[in-house]
Amino acid sequence: MNTENQRTSDLNRVLNRRSILGLTALAAANLAISYWMGQQAYSWMPPQASAESVLVDKLFSFMTAIGTFIFIGVIGTLLYSVVFQRAAKYDSTDGPPIEGNLWLEVVWTAVPIMLIIWIGTVSYSTYDQMSLLSPFAPQEMKTPGTVPGDKKESVPGDPEPTQTFAPIEVHSRQWAWEFRYPEDGVSSTELHLPVNQRARFKLTSEDVLHGFFVPAFRVKQDIVPGREIDFSFTPIREGRYRLRDSEYSGTYFAANQTNVVVESEEEYRQWLLAAAQNPPTAAENVAFESFSRAVEGSISLGWATVRPAPAPIVNYTSSEKDSYE
Amino acid sequence: MSSINVDPSLNSNAAHGTEHEEEDHRMFGFVVFLLSESIIFFSFFVGYAVFKTGTADWLPAGFEGLEVKEPLINTIVLVSSSFVIYFAERFLHKENLWGFRAFWLLTMAMGSFFLYGQAVEWMGLPFGFTDGVFGGTFYLLTGFHGLHVMTGVLLQGIMLGRSFLPNNYARGEFGVASTSLFWHFVDVIWIILFILIYVWQ
Amino acid sequence: MSDASVEVRSPDPQASRQPEPGAPDNWRRFFTFSTDHKVIGIQYIVTAFIFFLFGGLLAMVMRGELITPEADLVDRTVYNGLFTMHGTIMLFMWTFPMLNGLANYLVPLMIGARDMAFPRLNAAAFWMVPVFGIILIASFFIPGGPSQSGWWAYPPVSLQNPTGNLINGQALWLLAVALSGVSSIMGAVNIVTTIFRMRAPGMGWFKMPAFCWTVLSAQMIQLIGLPALTAGAVMLLLDLTVGTSFFDPTRGGDPVLYQHFFWFYSHPAVYVIVLPIFGVFSEVFPVYARKPLFGYPVVVVSSLMITVLSLVVWVHHMFASGTPGWMRMLFMFTTMAISIPTGIKVFAWVATVWGGKLRLTTAMLFALGGLSTFLFAGITGIMLSSAPFDIHVNNTYFVVGHFHYVINGAVVMGFYAAIYHWFPKMTGRMYYEGLGKLHFALTFIGINMIFLPMHPLGLLGMPRRVASYDPEFAFLNVIASLGGFLLGVSTLPFILNMLSSWNQGEKAGNNPWRAIGLEWLVSSPPPHENFEEIPVVVSPPYGYGSNEPLVSNNPAGEALA
Repeated sequence: MNTENQRTSDLNRVLNRRSILGLTALAAANLAISYWMGQQAYSWMPPQASAESVLVDKLFSFMTAIGTFIFIGVIGTLLYSVVFQRAAKYDSTDGPPIEGNLWLEVVWTAVPIMLIIWIGTVSYSTYDQMSLLSPFAPQEMKTPGTVPGDKKESVPGDPEPTQTFAPIEVHSRQWAWEFRYPEDGVSSTELHLPVNQRARFKLTSEDVLHGFFVPAFRVKQDIVPGREIDFSFTPIREGRYRLRDSEYSGTYFAANQTNVVVESEEEYRQWLLAAAQNPPTAAENVAFESFSRAVEGSISLGWATVRPAPAPIVNYTSSEKDSYE
Repeated sequence: MSSINVDPSLNSNAAHGTEHEEEDHRMFGFVVFLLSESIIFFSFFVGYAVFKTGTADWLPAGFEGLEVKEPLINTIVLVSSSFVIYFAERFLHKENLWGFRAFWLLTMAMGSFFLYGQAVEWMGLPFGFTDGVFGGTFYLLTGFHGLHVMTGVLLQGIMLGRSFLPNNYARGEFGVASTSLFWHFVDVIWIILFILIYVWQ
Repeated sequence: MSDASVEVRSPDPQASRQPEPGAPDNWRRFFTFSTDHKVIGIQYIVTAFIFFLFGGLLAMVMRGELITPEADLVDRTVYNGLFTMHGTIMLFMWTFPMLNGLANYLVPLMIGARDMAFPRLNAAAFWMVPVFGIILIASFFIPGGPSQSGWWAYPPVSLQNPTGNLINGQALWLLAVALSGVSSIMGAVNIVTTIFRMRAPGMGWFKMPAFCWTVLSAQMIQLIGLPALTAGAVMLLLDLTVGTSFFDPTRGGDPVLYQHFFWFYSHPAVYVIVLPIFGVFSEVFPVYARKPLFGYPVVVVSSLMITVLSLVVWVHHMFASGTPGWMRMLFMFTTMAISIPTGIKVFAWVATVWGGKLRLTTAMLFALGGLSTFLFAGITGIMLSSAPFDIHVNNTYFVVGHFHYVINGAVVMGFYAAIYHWFPKMTGRMYYEGLGKLHFALTFIGINMIFLPMHPLGLLGMPRRVASYDPEFAFLNVIASLGGFLLGVSTLPFILNMLSSWNQGEKAGNNPWRAIGLEWLVSSPPPHENFEEIPVVVSPPYGYGSNEPLVSNNPAGEALA
């Protein structure tokens, strides 16, 4: 019992070495830096081109701030020890035999619990607001025309859709993207979307897993062959963005990317009309072209590869040289 | 040294080198291994349940369902063999070697009968292991279990042969005890498998 | 009963005998089927480290490819084979065998046993490592090359088999992984049995060093999780070779089910890897801070909490795989919950260091470096567990950066900390501090330089596993590549240090660090069968600052009394 008291007093001495005031000042400084980092976090992200991206960035900023606070707190403490609590060269004595402190241990168990409840709740509500149409969620059964995710009214920049569009068919294969607008008789290797409208998709794959990923929209969905996956999000900013395959799909996986053009409803309509007039032509396709070049030029193919599907025949083709944000 | 208060219930290797301790380690290790092994079966069972509930055309075209009668007889034989092997072990404990051998041999016969029945069933089925997911899972589960039964019978054969060696049990009965435990394990797995594949159709 | 145990505790004449080959000075014993846990431990560590260097070379070729946006240095198929083999080698042939090596060497010494429970099984498990290693590396030389489906081997890509041969890279890959699984199970059965049944008298659960606790927790995960991977791998192999259709979507199979099998094991596998490193931190900090491990009972029990929780988090790898919304939310919360026991450990280590009398030896530096990178990885890990954010960065370089901070940051640095800390014990000689500190500086800078830029790359949307990328990612990739080469160079002072110190380092006494622990009570290197007399433990493991003896007898026997 005696040693127990001794240890507690040792601990108090260690803890009280710095005044409460100093600690508070340090915590405040940490808080300020963390807040600043949280604000910086927005700039690490691609342009906010969808309603979802606004929500995700806010969540990321929040988590960055909390993370920074913990990181600085822990690393700062460690660095202080490393700099100021070194043993003198010939000092072979031991440190204070503190084996634990119930109060401290309770605190640092309770604090993470509260933090994760906080982060979890914020994440949950973000997810709820995004209400990304999960492929197996019951919403799937809803009659076409009702836009899923009605809770989105509160999201800035996401006005009520004036008109709903039929789902765009996304066909993924090794290694090309093809987008079909069934009502307009258009097929394209570039995805065109009207701004501020809930865009809906039917994702299919003809061979292996692919991933539909547009960083500027902060959305991603794996495409499972043999399933038709419903997917939706709302673009809110005009521009040309990159669409990438996000689930490893074999040899030319890295080249399986294309662009997404978000434009005003008017331009979108015009594009659809113009594209429908175009005769179907073979699109530019990195995988097929480089494979053919390699075969013709009898360049070493490296190791065995799956033969790429021929370039898609579409009304509208995009080019890898197109600029994007 | 004698003043030290050592809790005698603590596990210790103080008796390192004596047969009894070694055997305990082996049995402990074997039980740990069996628990781990059971998770492979459990994974296959979960896979089977997921496939069965999630596949539209579960049974191969033109196939009505599995016959239950013969497999049930097989099941009864295999499950009873668990009791037979228990009696064999009891005989060994009482140092009645011939009683042990007789019951042990009976267990082997019952296990072999099970394998024979399984083979006959396989021959009569209209689908192969490449006929859809049902074919695949059916042959995977029964085949993987069958391999275990075969291993069990082989182990029993080895134990039977070794029972004729002089002083075979001087170093304990780990071989017999673990083979017997393995046999019970194979039986329990079969009961779950039978319910999953034959009863739940 | 107690009379009997006292009797057996008396010196065993068998133990003092040094049979050939097996004498500590005979280097040839490392090439024999030795059943001595210390020999096997070093065999594991050295073999694994050779594979680590090989996997690292593959990574440097990859970084060479990624230094420019185009796929120019190697063919895309070669790049895909490289990252597949890099991941597989690093996990199955470096981390698992390396940690098994540490556990093998240390656990019997730390719990006061003369060897593992099953010495021959132990040797057999080790000798499978070079066997499956050679099988895996042989796939480089067969027609069609090695597996190119990534270390996840997700079907249908892994089932495509463009060569059409029965013996293809993917089949060899599956064979190697299956053998690795068998070896790991053998190791796990052995280690769990040893810890449960062979602790020295007086070593109750809460007198056992934290390293043994973490090893036990990790090996329990192996026993529960590996069979699930084995089941998935068997089904994949059957699909690939004999034409079943478990995971083939064109014939009714379900490729997502494979993902569940795979991640049910492969997420907990991360804890298999990192838990023993937590144990290393818990051993190293008290020694060089001269303070007891803060909150020891909570720290060790939190390992078991991690074991349990690790089994219910796997779906967080599949947030974008087409999992239903309820599953995403459920697994988001379970994943976040893991940060509680992990946080407890981190805070406990900081409190252990705080107010101590620090000695910044190489081992301590690596442990501190490993702790700081682990903290960073833990924070990005919580971010990743948040489903809405994960959907954005899933399968991007953010994830690559995150887990390399865990594995190359915490685990590899933790490994180095362990090697430097126990090097005098293993070899009987001291290492050169100067070279060690150079090694630390290069490693620490290299790790941050290669893996930190991966985070912004991922946030900007660069997918992982790409042989080519869009030009806007070039700058950060150049930095990462330079960091990668620096990391490669950082192993040179380590190898130099180890080889020369082992040969001609200054002789180390039994306990050069004045550390507390059973392994430090015997000679360096410890004799065959470790203890002349089985120790009788009377104190908790980290009695720094209180002059209580750890044992009540002299385990080293008369010779060193």
